[in-house]
Amino acid sequence: MITNKIIDDFIDKIPPKPDILQATVKILNDGNLAKAAKVAEEDLALKAYLCNLVNKPIYGFKNEVCDIGQIFGILSLSGSQQTVYNYMLSLLCPKKWELFNLNENSFYELQANLSLHWKKILDFLNINDKDIESAITLLPASIIVTEALFSTKKEDVKLLRSVNSLDYNTILIRLCNTSLFDICNKIATKWDMSEQIQQIVYASSGINPSKDKQINSLAKWMHLLLFYELSQPTFVEAQLNDFIDFQLEYVQDIYEDFTKVMEL
Amino acid sequence: MRAILKDAIGLFAPQGFLDGNNSAFFLNDEDIKIATDLNADMILVSLKKVIFFNKNGLDVFVKLFLEVKKKKNITVGFCDYDNKKFTTILKFYSDEMNFSLFKSYSIASLFSSSFKNKNKNVLLYSDDKSQKTAMAIELHDFGHNPIVCQTLEEFKEKSLNNGAYDDIINDTFIGQVGQKIATRVSGNAVIYSVSLFLDTEISNAFNIVYHNNSLNVGFRLFIFDACKVISMNIHALNFFSKLSSSAAEYSATICFTGLDFTKIPVSFKETMEDSGILFYEKMDDILLNKELLKELGASCAANIKSKRVLNKDIVSKLPSFVEATVATIEMMTNSKAKKEAIQINKIEIREKDNKIASSIGFYGDVDGMIILVFPTKIAKKACELLIGESTDDAELILDTLAELVNIVGGKIKSLLGDHGSRVNITLPRTYNNIDDLLEVIEDKKGVQVDLIFDDDKFLFFLTK
Repeated sequence: MITNKIIDDFIDKIPPKPDILQATVKILNDGNLAKAAKVAEEDLALKAYLCNLVNKPIYGFKNEVCDIGQIFGILSLSGSQQTVYNYMLSLLCPKKWELFNLNENSFYELQANLSLHWKKILDFLNINDKDIESAITLLPASIIVTEALFSTKKEDVKLLRSVNSLDYNTILIRLCNTSLFDICNKIATKWDMSEQIQQIVYASSGINPSKDKQINSLAKWMHLLLFYELSQPTFVEAQLNDFIDFQLEYVQDIYEDFTKVMEL
Repeated sequence: MRAILKDAIGLFAPQGFLDGNNSAFFLNDEDIKIATDLNADMILVSLKKVIFFNKNGLDVFVKLFLEVKKKKNITVGFCDYDNKKFTTILKFYSDEMNFSLFKSYSIASLFSSSFKNKNKNVLLYSDDKSQKTAMAIELHDFGHNPIVCQTLEEFKEKSLNNGAYDDIINDTFIGQVGQKIATRVSGNAVIYSVSLFLDTEISNAFNIVYHNNSLNVGFRLFIFDACKVISMNIHALNFFSKLSSSAAEYSATICFTGLDFTKIPVSFKETMEDSGILFYEKMDDILLNKELLKELGASCAANIKSKRVLNKDIVSKLPSFVEATVATIEMMTNSKAKKEAIQINKIEIREKDNKIASSIGFYGDVDGMIILVFPTKIAKKACELLIGESTDDAELILDTLAELVNIVGGKIKSLLGDHGSRVNITLPRTYNNIDDLLEVIEDKKGVQVDLIFDDDKFLFFLTK
């Protein structure tokens, strides 16, 4: 059904980080927001993406904000880097989603929700680290990879899942000995995302806990946050709720704190 | 959300958070209809992967439960929870619990009329006396052996001796259970348990689809265990007479055991005998008598409703059937298939050793039966995807094989649907040796396709 060759072909087709984005991320890393905004202005698609993103209701702005300098100012340094990574990931989205009932808007909404809630969690944990803040941007790559690999096998998977409770990650591991999160890491490597980002997202699958205490703790929060978002009506309707297995025991010890942060 | 269907239990498994805003998106009446159309006689929502729920969230499911229970008379409820979730649900619905709570899926399956593994030793405890009694009666009716603990202390003590019981039941609540007649299979006989007063309700409680499927897959002996029947009226009499007449078309036999005629008119017995129903005092009078079993048709499960032969209509669908089968096995084994030979004749299996088989029938606009003969090695490989590890457990392999053949059946149903032919598929049947299979289909002609998957020979046989 799915072979390692299909996975390798998929990874090969992932484009390298575009020049403008590379330059933008580099300048953001140097801490120069104004200069980064000026470079980012040249990429019209990025500009449109940023404009669309920050004007979503979850950001709560009364008036439309579309000036890149202003947007980067609002998002701050770490938020800007996170948003540029979100944009990079959106470049991998299919034009038309076949497996999941998603579209450009709902996917952006998922990215925005994850990013804002992740920020809330990091504030609660007193963590101020732009790489850790950006880690959340890699998580939806698992959804894009699932869509890319399984969309042409939709009927097979449907039949398989009608007789056995198998999530996409398990199917992939059993068929190819590779997980969705391994593939996410290959994307991250290709885009020069930090090792720390890769480790957090890899452990956030919930089935490969990290030995590093901080990374494992962050991965737990990320796993629970993902399922909090995937329990929202839009994403349940998009059939995303069970695309990977929720590891309830893995997150049990942070659940009480999570309910406080999310004000449940 | 689609249900996973196993042992006639439709299981929905939401993950994460359940509240009034999202529950309706997890499950709706269309999802339940799909499951009940596939003959689910129990609809359950698993709470195993749910970390948070509130009453508004559960209310949405409960409303759906009650609707389907009213329409289909089946068991509905929640399963797979811990003690905290159990007590919370009891608190939410203390006034009116019209649904069931099963601590685990395996406990729920003990109460399913289609669960094939009967005779389980089950340790049982509930602090609600009426619940304890209701569960014990149900378990007994479904062919199990309940060991009821009178006190919590006794339960705790006995629970320590884990190996002594097949299942341990606590934190379970039986709402109104479905009124489906308990069904089990013993050898090649299908046994139905009926009780109390039999009236017009029998036609609702009896799973006629399951019965017809059993006839279609080759069962020839049907026994009604009636030792707990008090009496019956004319509606029940008519029902059994009709059932026996239709079974005769397949040369199948219907028997009753333990039926006491002191409160049933003698004329009823004569009518039933006239329609071919046989009466025996005890179940063992049949099951322990090999010669009688043979005479009644339970040693040979051949389909002899009519001497059917393959026709052009069904053969024209052959490429699609083979394609569906090959695609499924390729998917399950991640290997490529090569076609070796096609022939129309009786099935020819050169080497019988280390092979297992499975069959699935379809009936409707076109009728037929597909038989797949697997080298055990391929079956094991195909099963690895479903069970996640390699195993030598023969029963587990056969169970998983049945699921695999179910997938093939589902594909064939959908392929035929694409060509405008509507069919239903039967329950899959497995054979742990080739001789058992040959007993069913030895004399039938069909189309045999020999295939090779990674140097292992695999056989596809299509017959009517």
